[in-house]
Amino acid sequence: MIKKIFTIVVVLFFALTTYSQNKLPKNHSLSNLTCKTCHSCDVPTKKNPCLIACPRAEMVTINQSPEQAPEVEILKELSNRYMPVVFSHKMHAQMSQMSGGCETCHHYNTIGPIQPCINCHETSRKREDISKPDLEAAYHRQCINCHREWSHSNDCTSCHALKNKNESISISSYVKKITGKSHPALVEPKKVVYETNYNKGKIVTFFHNEHVNLFGAKCIDCHKDENCTKCHDKTKTTFAQQKASDMPIKIRKSKEEHHKPCFSCHQDDKCNLCHKDKSMSPFNHAVTTGWALNKFHENLICEKCHGSSSKFVKLNNDCNNCHKDFAAGKFDHKVSGLKLSENHKDLDCIECHKEKNFAKAPTCENCHDDKSFPKDKPGTEVNVSLKKKR
Amino acid sequence: MEKQNRRSFLKTTALIGAAATGISTKSASAKPKNILSEDRMGVLVDTTVCIGCRNCEWACKTAHNIPTEDQIKYEDRSVFKQMRRPEPNAFTVVNEYPNPQNSALPTDVKIQCMHCDHPACVSACIVGAISKEENGSVIWDTKKCIGCRYCMVACPFQIPSFDYNKPMNPEIRKCDFCIERTKKGLLPACVKNCPVEALTYGPRNELIKEARERIKRYPDKYFNHIYGETEAGGTSWMYLANQDFSKLAFPSPGDKPMPGASESIQHGIFAYFVPPAFLYALLGGIMWITKKRNEPE
Repeated sequence: MIKKIFTIVVVLFFALTTYSQNKLPKNHSLSNLTCKTCHSCDVPTKKNPCLIACPRAEMVTINQSPEQAPEVEILKELSNRYMPVVFSHKMHAQMSQMSGGCETCHHYNTIGPIQPCINCHETSRKREDISKPDLEAAYHRQCINCHREWSHSNDCTSCHALKNKNESISISSYVKKITGKSHPALVEPKKVVYETNYNKGKIVTFFHNEHVNLFGAKCIDCHKDENCTKCHDKTKTTFAQQKASDMPIKIRKSKEEHHKPCFSCHQDDKCNLCHKDKSMSPFNHAVTTGWALNKFHENLICEKCHGSSSKFVKLNNDCNNCHKDFAAGKFDHKVSGLKLSENHKDLDCIECHKEKNFAKAPTCENCHDDKSFPKDKPGTEVNVSLKKKR
Repeated sequence: MEKQNRRSFLKTTALIGAAATGISTKSASAKPKNILSEDRMGVLVDTTVCIGCRNCEWACKTAHNIPTEDQIKYEDRSVFKQMRRPEPNAFTVVNEYPNPQNSALPTDVKIQCMHCDHPACVSACIVGAISKEENGSVIWDTKKCIGCRYCMVACPFQIPSFDYNKPMNPEIRKCDFCIERTKKGLLPACVKNCPVEALTYGPRNELIKEARERIKRYPDKYFNHIYGETEAGGTSWMYLANQDFSKLAFPSPGDKPMPGASESIQHGIFAYFVPPAFLYALLGGIMWITKKRNEPE
């Protein structure tokens, strides 16, 4: 049983890594490197690529999501006093998405397959090449700094269990414990109110939910180099706990640090866009732009009309800004819930919608004396899904 | 007549004594082993990597048969509240300092004998009990030690410690670079046991190259100085840090070898026995004058 689990994990690991990584990117010779960074000979061929084992170039080619990567890794090359380490790779990979990404640990991973640490880091501490730490040190350096930051201790046992007789049993139980688990969903604040030192508007209200759900910002757009301790710190009350309250938070970082995440989109905006005298109410398209969104538009994400989320374009009230094809006979009327019959299909809008006022009920009197809407309909009713069109 | 005889007797004894002391000082300074080999080994301590686990302290005690508590007890970080120095029963200790780059990751610094290239202790030892070996280690011979503690005074890093509990069997104690282990081809115990390889063991020349390479590759991470490359004329143990070494309680002994200063004083005092002879002559002169004055007119 235990052996089976081992084999499955190992096979899964190899299958996934080979599947996702075994290809060189096209035109890799054109990348911004000298050939000698990776190849030892002058003319590398497919048969003899003469690859240097561990090229030291800032170059990483891991482009896979945490879910594609192996879920659990068992680091057992060095177990002596302690048991092998059961490493929850998926959870750690998920956490790394907001900091350095895969390359936090997989540094110097050249073009091609993901290198296991042991390819470059020797297992023996007594060795000729002292430029790289040995395998034990390489593992520990990757793990300990973060763990030390949030737990403020170096205890070995948070990763290693001391060796005992039932080694295989406890390993499989560990594996079982973390298999299928993901990093718990992050607690996202809805709204954060900051109290700043800016005299012309002390209060800055940040609507996290709007930036994520409406404005289409991705986590990594702002959370690029997050530290583990932002969420994981055993001694501090977390920032998330603080944010749960509606009280303004006194700023703690420098002016530059606070502005940095905002400036990637708001670099051309005026200070008073965010800096107000009191906390802001949520974004309302009607209030801010003077143009209320109807039932079709309110479910769209902003990008759909205003272009890329990094730079929104201001629009006027003309439908043709977006609906370039809205002309007589070309409007797909069934989106309104009514599919026009053949007779009505090619009519001009104003035939039924007086003065192009779509808010009012349409009229039939231009052509028909004995018909009126909504009793009589110029077509058949259809269901319109109001799902978000993203 | 009798007086005269006594005076001449004293004169002769003084002369013989002087000659004898002159000879004996010469024989005492008969050179102890003080080899500065090109291939001497060293250790590069990267304090930016050290995590302060104190495994080195445990390993050192175990390797030198010093009784110690269980390894798990070393996880206690409260010891860092006060600065510690090497002791007769602790050849190496780790101290903790604030890290200006990241307050959550304090800087930990292991201290032990630096194993100088030109050891002041070797030069100061009047019985030649301390020697610098070919592999770079500075070791001592308990059998020869007379407990004068000159080495303690001479050491610019204040490393040798004295076991005051054994007055009849004096013993200076300090890191011996695990000479017994390295003779067998093993790594020093602390190097072997460091979980993050903050201690790199290798030929000193290679270590300097590697240290330069690290500073070059991560200029933001490292303070641009290799402590021990030139300090006190160069040491076998060298350090890298992310801040000025003076903030990590490293002394600034200057770049000149220490024995230069201590030897010039020590050897100067006894050089050709001129200063002592001069002193005796001066005292004798004073005695003669006083006596002459007191003689009845």
